[in-house]
Amino acid sequence: MNDITQQIRTTARRLLEEKTVDCVIGYRKGTVPMQEEPYFAYSPEEADTLVWTGFCVNNLANFLIKRPGRNAILAQGCVSRNIVGLIKENQVQRENVYILGVHSPGMLDAEKIKAQFPDRVITKVTEDEQEILVQGWGFEERLERKKFKRNNCFTCTHRNAVLYDEFIGEQGPGTGGGNIDKVAAPWEAMDSDSRWAAFEDAFKDCIRCYACRNVCPLCYCDVCFVDENNPQWVGKSQLDADIYTFHILRAFHCAGRCTDCGACESACPVGIKMRTLTGKLEKDIREFYDYQPGLDLETPPPLTLYRPNDPDVAG
Amino acid sequence: MSDWEPKIAAFLCNWCSYGAADLAGVSRMQYPANIRIIRIPCTGAMSPNFILQSLRHGVDGVWVSG
Amino acid sequence: MNIDILANSEIESVQGEQGYFEVKVRTKARYIDPQACTGCGECAAHCPISAVDVYNQSMGERRAIYIDYAQAVPLSFAIDQEACIGCGLCEKMCLAGAIKYDDAPQQNTLQVGSITLAVGTRTFDPSGLDFLGYGRFPNVVTSAEFERILSASGPYFGHLMRPLDREEPRKIAWLQCVGSRDTNNCGNAYCSSVCCMYAVKEAVIAKEHAGGDLDCAVFYMDMRTYGKDFERYYDQAREEEGVRFIRSRVHTITEVEESGDLELSFVDDAGRMQSEVFNMVVLSVGLETSPQTLELAEKFGLEVTDNRFCRTSTFAPIATSREGITVCGAFQGPKDIPSSVVDAGAAASAVGEALASARFSETRTKEVVPEKNVQGERPSIGVFVCKCGSNIAGVIDVAGVRDYAAKLPFVDYVTDNLYTCSQNTQEDMAEIIHEKNLNRVIVASCSPKTHEPLFQETLTNAGINKYLFSMVNIRNQDSWVHRNNPDLATEKAKDLVRMAVSNVALKEPLEEPELGIHQSALVIGGGISGMTSALSLARQGHDTHLVEQSSALGGQARFLYKTWKGEDIQSHLQELIAAVQAEPGLQVHLQTSVTQVDGFVGNFTSTLDNGEKEQTVTHGVTVMATGAGELEPAEYGYGQDARIKTALELDRLFQTDDPELKSVNTAVFIQCVGSREPERPYCSRVCCTHSIQNALELKTRNPAMNVYVLHRDIRTYGEKENLYNQARQAGVLFIRYNPEDKPVVQPKDGNLTVTVTDPILGRPLEIQTDLLTLATAIVPKRDEQLANFFKISHNDDGFFAERHAKMGPAEFATDGMFLCGLAHYPKSIDESIAQGKAAAGKAITLLAQEVIHSSGEVARVDPMYCSSCGVCVSICPYSAPSFIEEGRFAGKAQINPSLCKGCGLCAASCRSGAISLRGSDNRQIYAMIEAI
Repeated sequence: MNDITQQIRTTARRLLEEKTVDCVIGYRKGTVPMQEEPYFAYSPEEADTLVWTGFCVNNLANFLIKRPGRNAILAQGCVSRNIVGLIKENQVQRENVYILGVHSPGMLDAEKIKAQFPDRVITKVTEDEQEILVQGWGFEERLERKKFKRNNCFTCTHRNAVLYDEFIGEQGPGTGGGNIDKVAAPWEAMDSDSRWAAFEDAFKDCIRCYACRNVCPLCYCDVCFVDENNPQWVGKSQLDADIYTFHILRAFHCAGRCTDCGACESACPVGIKMRTLTGKLEKDIREFYDYQPGLDLETPPPLTLYRPNDPDVAG
Repeated sequence: MSDWEPKIAAFLCNWCSYGAADLAGVSRMQYPANIRIIRIPCTGAMSPNFILQSLRHGVDGVWVSG
Repeated sequence: MNIDILANSEIESVQGEQGYFEVKVRTKARYIDPQACTGCGECAAHCPISAVDVYNQSMGERRAIYIDYAQAVPLSFAIDQEACIGCGLCEKMCLAGAIKYDDAPQQNTLQVGSITLAVGTRTFDPSGLDFLGYGRFPNVVTSAEFERILSASGPYFGHLMRPLDREEPRKIAWLQCVGSRDTNNCGNAYCSSVCCMYAVKEAVIAKEHAGGDLDCAVFYMDMRTYGKDFERYYDQAREEEGVRFIRSRVHTITEVEESGDLELSFVDDAGRMQSEVFNMVVLSVGLETSPQTLELAEKFGLEVTDNRFCRTSTFAPIATSREGITVCGAFQGPKDIPSSVVDAGAAASAVGEALASARFSETRTKEVVPEKNVQGERPSIGVFVCKCGSNIAGVIDVAGVRDYAAKLPFVDYVTDNLYTCSQNTQEDMAEIIHEKNLNRVIVASCSPKTHEPLFQETLTNAGINKYLFSMVNIRNQDSWVHRNNPDLATEKAKDLVRMAVSNVALKEPLEEPELGIHQSALVIGGGISGMTSALSLARQGHDTHLVEQSSALGGQARFLYKTWKGEDIQSHLQELIAAVQAEPGLQVHLQTSVTQVDGFVGNFTSTLDNGEKEQTVTHGVTVMATGAGELEPAEYGYGQDARIKTALELDRLFQTDDPELKSVNTAVFIQCVGSREPERPYCSRVCCTHSIQNALELKTRNPAMNVYVLHRDIRTYGEKENLYNQARQAGVLFIRYNPEDKPVVQPKDGNLTVTVTDPILGRPLEIQTDLLTLATAIVPKRDEQLANFFKISHNDDGFFAERHAKMGPAEFATDGMFLCGLAHYPKSIDESIAQGKAAAGKAITLLAQEVIHSSGEVARVDPMYCSSCGVCVSICPYSAPSFIEEGRFAGKAQINPSLCKGCGLCAASCRSGAISLRGSDNRQIYAMIEAI
């Protein structure tokens, strides 16, 4: 891992020195443990601030949207797929982005780690390929790394960047090992009444802070439908109907575009698992159209095309 | 609950289903008076938002046909 | 406005010549004034006399006062004089006063420049064929009857039942070629062209209606699914839907005692006697010319063929034997809808050519009332509630609805009318709008599908923008369907009026975009269809550029020898080329390609490059006639032996009268080479006829020659069947092969041997041949660049995709783009010519106008909301959205209102909510939802 950090810094330094790019977008160490922050390195010196750990969970593609100048960006599988999507959707110009592809070892879920140490304060977390070393006030413990991966990283289908100008480190195993089709399984097993009950339960804590929307690289509209007032599709209150409208339409807007990067869940302050919703939509897209978002620049997303032989799916 | 009658919003495509609803009339087919038809230019114009809004505004069921 | 419909009329006589015909027309008594009749149907609801419903193939009943079907034009009832007892009930019921018992036939004399016969055809009546039992066994029906059974407006309301006991059949058989390809029993030797496809369709739809396990079996001789995408449909029916296809001619149908089931006896493929019981049998009856049509043809002095179709030539397929009279549709020859529509377009264009000098001399135009600007005014709504006689008022409390409407916001005027659509109410309505200063109007009456244009016209006449109107359907979708619940129906009517009020209040006056039409055309492709199209356009006064990639005009026709009617192709082709070259206003660009295209309907700018210089031409319309090519076969040893040729290579031998032909004693043709294969699952349509024509040519040149045609199904549709008969009589041997067991070609010891399994003997047959002709597929020239230039698309096989498979065969979905010839699908010369003319005819409907107005109900982008994602650009089937290229909103989407069809696909797909569909935008729909 340190090795990758070193290589990222070296490459970023080179790109900035040679003025290949104006900025390198990556991560730096967070001010609190287990929460690295997006970082924009503009000078060769700043390149040394960049890091690569298991806590780089923000989707950096988000920062490329309509960003001026020429930027390099660190991208593992999902992020690179989002960049592909953004290029197709005219939010990013291919020639203005220099993609530093990287293999994701599977990012870690800080909440899962914290849950191991109730009522204790963690001060530092380090990791290697197998283990996590958690240090805190008066304790130090090693955990098996793979047990603490984020849920979406278990079912990852593309851990290596799919589109890049330069690959940092070696290409690693392609998938997270989990079955992505299972993400949607709980919904599919339910009848409509219990599905609705489960839906209500899943979103009951939502405070509509829109953090999930704000970290999502798919959500770049200047005016989001939730903010429109003529017609006003969604009220401003905490009414259940408003919460449901927001989440259902958000999921619809992501259909055929979501790379399951997990940024939404990582950002949610109340721990809502909204991936289950997008997971079902993406599964349908895979089944009906044999399509996964962001794998290449050519294939048009199926929901942006009308073809007479589109599957006729009811129910 | 026994005399409860649902109110159904029907979004019908101008070119097919709306015409079919007309034809049902010409054929004097009888059906319950619970639906309120909204004619749309094409079911392609059907936004999921319309469904959610209908439900929010107290409609009990939504029928989209086209 | 420029079409007068004389329904219920007959031609009595025709005199004169092209340009100066005098036609005597006799209009029969209808006993109803079609101007006064509103089509409400109150009369029929009270008529005590029932009569046979001819429209429903006599399977149902109608009243003595009747209308053929719900969509009939004109929408006016008529009295069946033979059934009517004159009780006078209808006259009492008709509040519109439309009944005229004293109506008498009228005679009119029309002065016309040309005449087109679109008299159609009738289906064969199988009652004379007693072995089929039609007429004796109730569960034996004709395909026309079965169509009505499947129809939602049919005698059983679309419920699949058999006539005898109204039971749902579990097994249905179709018998093909009833009244076609049959000289013994009915004298119709020709193939009716349409029955194979409609039988497959009926079987598939029957399965859809019945759901699940309905067993459908089609008994046929040759499956003739030769049209565009037909073979795919056939494959799907067989492989996916499980329709059984049995190659056999059923010789007897007997009724099973008591059950009414039917036992079919037939000889199967292996020659064994078989029988199978079905619950119902459908006879796929053919098409034939009726005696009335023949009488008419005689009145006109037209020649007919031996098969009693109108005689035409390959090179003038819609011209009859009398100048100035054209023919289209199934009287020209048995044909399906797309071919008929092509014919119709061709006939229109031919008439346009003939009458070009008199163009616009009798055109009627409308007076324009200046529009009042009501933008920004407070909505002031008038609500007109219609009683429709008693159609609405008999169920709904019209006065109650009217008074309810009066209390709704912004409603300043309410009234009710006996018939809102009647002429005098329309005049009153215009007056009221004016007087009360209304700026929005609602009519609560029948369906906007039939009456919206009428009321909109009234708004226009009152000086109000016609989009400030909303219609509430309280008849078809309320009073008629909730007859037994007047209270609920009234409640519903009030709800619907309330919804319409909230909707119409938000409506804005819409502008209809005006678009100038550049009066010239570009035709791409100089083959037969392209030349025909270009010539037709130029003859009607439009500057036309004809672009051909190669160094000569003529296309594929240059390689062909004779038509199936025996006409020499080269001499006719030369005539056509000469006419093209001589036509003023028609500019031919050889060795030229289109390298750049900008613009859209009415105003294309194309760059033509002939290798030496570039030229820019501006044109209002474009015709794609880019043709297709011959497949170079990769099987049957092609290329390894000089005696193995393609069909076009054989034509070349005939053209040059090659001495090689003299030494041929045995000739073999192999059909479907590269067609109807998994990688090319379409039928190339012309190869069967072509091979048989060539087989006959060989036989004519050397009657002693052994000629074999190895085929899968012989598809000599229409009158081409005659050729197949002739070939068999001349001794050409036809051997069917199975695609799983294709013929094997082996050059052996200097001999060329073709081995094929004989289907009857089941044993391999070795033929030593001197000539092997491969009937190769016609393959499309997929030109992605051209397709992108003009925003048109291909189908799965690589042929251009027309606007509508049935109704728009010679045009694209993209406005201003037209299509003809092989680029559309394989077809014969007469069909290419007809389509070339049809494309021109369609194009002229645009070119005939200097400016066109498109609908105001189009999508519009608010660039402030647009996030440039491009979904609208990729999803629009009409290429209306594009990105703004420069200025403040560069990169944002914009919609060309002239191309937009107002479907709203973009608006619904726009995540950013930047697109609204004018006339029914989100706010309006939302307002209606809120008001439900």
